[in-house]
Amino acid sequence: MLVDAVNTFNEIKTKLHDSSDLKSRQVQFFGTDITICYIAPITDNNLLNDCILFPMTSEQNKPKEDIANYLKHSVLSSIEVTEILDIDQAVTKLLNGQTVILVDKADKILSCDTEKITVRAVAEPPTSVVIKGPREGFTESIKYNLALIRKRARSDDLVVNMMEIGKLTKTQVAVVYFDSVADKSVVKQITKKLKAIKIDGVLDSHYLVSYLQKNPHSLFKQIGDTEKPDILVGKMLEGRVGIIVDGSPIVLTLPFILIEDLQNSDDYYSQPIRVTFVRILRFVGVVLAVLLPGIYIALEKYHYKILPTEFLVTIMNTTQGIPFSPFMEILFVVLLFEILYEANLRMPQYFGMAMSIVGALILGETAVNAGLVSPPAVMIVALSGITFYIIPSQAAQFSILRLLAIVVGACLGLYGVLLFCVFVLSYLSSFDSYKSAYLAPATPFIESDQEDFYMRKTISEMKKRPKSIANNHNNMIRRGENED
Amino acid sequence: MKINYRQLSILVFMSFVSLKLLALPSLLYVDSGNMSWLVALVLMIVDALYVFLILDLMKKCEEKNILEFMKKCLGPVLSRVFLAIYILKYALVIANISKGLEFFVVENFYNEFNWLVFILPLMALIGYMTYKGIRNIARVSEMINLAIVIGCLYIAFQSVGSADPTAYIPMFKDGVVPLFESGFKHLSWFGSASFMMLLFGKVDFKEEKKWTMIKYLIFAIVLVQIMYYVFYGIFDNISATHNFCISDISQFSSQESSINELSWLIVALWVVAQAVQLALYSYCMMQAIKFTFNIKNNTIPIIVVMVYVLIWSLVGENTIGLERLFFTPFASIITILAQYVIPLVLYIGFYMQNRRKKIFKSKNFIKNRIEIAPNVSVNKFKMLRGEK
Repeated sequence: MLVDAVNTFNEIKTKLHDSSDLKSRQVQFFGTDITICYIAPITDNNLLNDCILFPMTSEQNKPKEDIANYLKHSVLSSIEVTEILDIDQAVTKLLNGQTVILVDKADKILSCDTEKITVRAVAEPPTSVVIKGPREGFTESIKYNLALIRKRARSDDLVVNMMEIGKLTKTQVAVVYFDSVADKSVVKQITKKLKAIKIDGVLDSHYLVSYLQKNPHSLFKQIGDTEKPDILVGKMLEGRVGIIVDGSPIVLTLPFILIEDLQNSDDYYSQPIRVTFVRILRFVGVVLAVLLPGIYIALEKYHYKILPTEFLVTIMNTTQGIPFSPFMEILFVVLLFEILYEANLRMPQYFGMAMSIVGALILGETAVNAGLVSPPAVMIVALSGITFYIIPSQAAQFSILRLLAIVVGACLGLYGVLLFCVFVLSYLSSFDSYKSAYLAPATPFIESDQEDFYMRKTISEMKKRPKSIANNHNNMIRRGENED
Repeated sequence: MKINYRQLSILVFMSFVSLKLLALPSLLYVDSGNMSWLVALVLMIVDALYVFLILDLMKKCEEKNILEFMKKCLGPVLSRVFLAIYILKYALVIANISKGLEFFVVENFYNEFNWLVFILPLMALIGYMTYKGIRNIARVSEMINLAIVIGCLYIAFQSVGSADPTAYIPMFKDGVVPLFESGFKHLSWFGSASFMMLLFGKVDFKEEKKWTMIKYLIFAIVLVQIMYYVFYGIFDNISATHNFCISDISQFSSQESSINELSWLIVALWVVAQAVQLALYSYCMMQAIKFTFNIKNNTIPIIVVMVYVLIWSLVGENTIGLERLFFTPFASIITILAQYVIPLVLYIGFYMQNRRKKIFKSKNFIKNRIEIAPNVSVNKFKMLRGEK
């Protein structure tokens, strides 16, 4: 079927509901009418001029073959010139920032890549600031993000599977992994789940989270995320799969195990002994963050006998005259802290500092002076609050757990807090993420993975890929192959 | 859902240690005096031998559950009768652990105690863990195991200075007969391998390391013996009045005049270990109910187990009553059958059946050879059949 340039353009226009940003330009090319159409806001004018209009208008040699073919092979200087066979495809190309060239009486439609990429500069992501190591972070452009990954993994083993998700947004999503390292069944499972998503639009990678995780209502995070290409490639080298969504600087990684959040990219660029110390500190931090207020209430309310006498006297002196019960007192301070945190997070930066001073210093001190709360309660909650941010990615979950621990400690005492801990352990033990146990390598205990768990060996000593992550078990050696 | 060999070893370790360090040392002392440690040692070694016996059976029939395995060895009726005995055995163990835990919590944690505070959260926890299955219980055990071992060792070593070695002298002052009697009387506190009977088909032996189980068993026996040494060494002839070995030892730390904070936390850890043990035996009881009454889903058996725990907690007697229950002839018969007789019968049954199969196979072989190729030698015939 031959193309009628004017009619076809009208059809495209109808398909796009006469959208006013659809622009066209008519040109004559050796007596043939050509309509060049594009969507102005997403088309790069310079590319359009340099690769399409200028070559066409300045062409001197009369074509000996079919015009469309001649344009494709000899005139258009765009990197990507593709042939389109139907109008739907043409519309899709236009929506992706390409320019569609309608040649009258030709048997095909041409499209050239003239997409305008608006992107912010590559910068250090605010959520993963490092002392040592690369500072590049992902941006909102999938193309740039893929480039950042390719820059680090110049291997033919790196696979990028592109797909579109979202009925209306048609968001580009890429599944990236190392072919020889990732577990094929996991890749298949992820791809299948992504393809099955029926949604109007995907505005951020977190839109996909509930589709990918097994227990969408669970409190705990089951999918990893990162804003840094070095972390992503590091995770992929262990067998994980990355999911990049256009428009989001956060890349999802699967499978996810809890220990990932206790590790930091800094860990791999620092001395192993220091890292081991810091990791143990993080474990202790997690316990303090979640359990400290609950244990404090339990001790003050039920088990004060076990407190050292001097400490007990101090607490009694400071809590005298406080109108609230220990539970209400701690709950009050915790809620105050949560409110301050939320306000601080969303407030313009210049207010933030003032807010911190008002919140932490004035409110805290005034509450103590007014006799509403006792200094130990403020200290306990503050300590717990600070330790949250040893692992910022889990802070939201920890704050809920802390509240539960407070309630349990107040109702049942230490016996309740202990049962609560067992319950949390049992709950965490019960879910596995994509063939990987959530609490691995602690349970099931994997001896070989202990080298990068609470302690870390040197990079050269960690010769095998972790078994905690579902990966290709025929390719476990990651270092030292050539040394033998 | 299967557990791995290491997790099984940890479950065995926990069940070896958990019941032995609460009321048992004081109960043993009443009958066997300063030789109580020997009674415990001998019975633990017998238990360890039974662990290997059951392990051998498990490996030989890796994919089969206990009912299928029993049916194969003993037939459907007898297997259900045997499983019913296991229901009673686990019911006794659950009663023992839950009541022991209740008194332990009351004595160490609260001045005023409401049983609802104790039983309802515990029921919710063990109900959840039982529902989630053996893998969940094994994983939690794996997580807490190290902390419990370190805790026990800490308590033992900080109090070891207060233990008097002369408490063990003279040895065998009343002869060995009281030791046998005492051992027989307290059998129900042992038989830690009995839970393994309900784990047929649930253990993955793929990554088995030969020494894992042996290491854990030796360590369990040594740990219990260390604790007993310290306990009897400290309390000597008043051992019988001290109901809870692990918490009472820590009061006699050489550094502190009263129970100190860290010891107290370790005592608290013991509650966790007991709760996990309770979940383990609840799971076994649930499985035994399922198999005996041919119930397909887990919900009803779990409800039955939970109701049992609740009723026991409501009407259960105090520790003295509990001891009486454990020493009734009925309880002793159930215990001996479940712990020592049934595994042995199964073992013998399995080997006899296998032997019969082998004889049948070899008779068939001779018959075939004579019919098909009378002039061909046995080895060549085997080769021709692709057996060699």
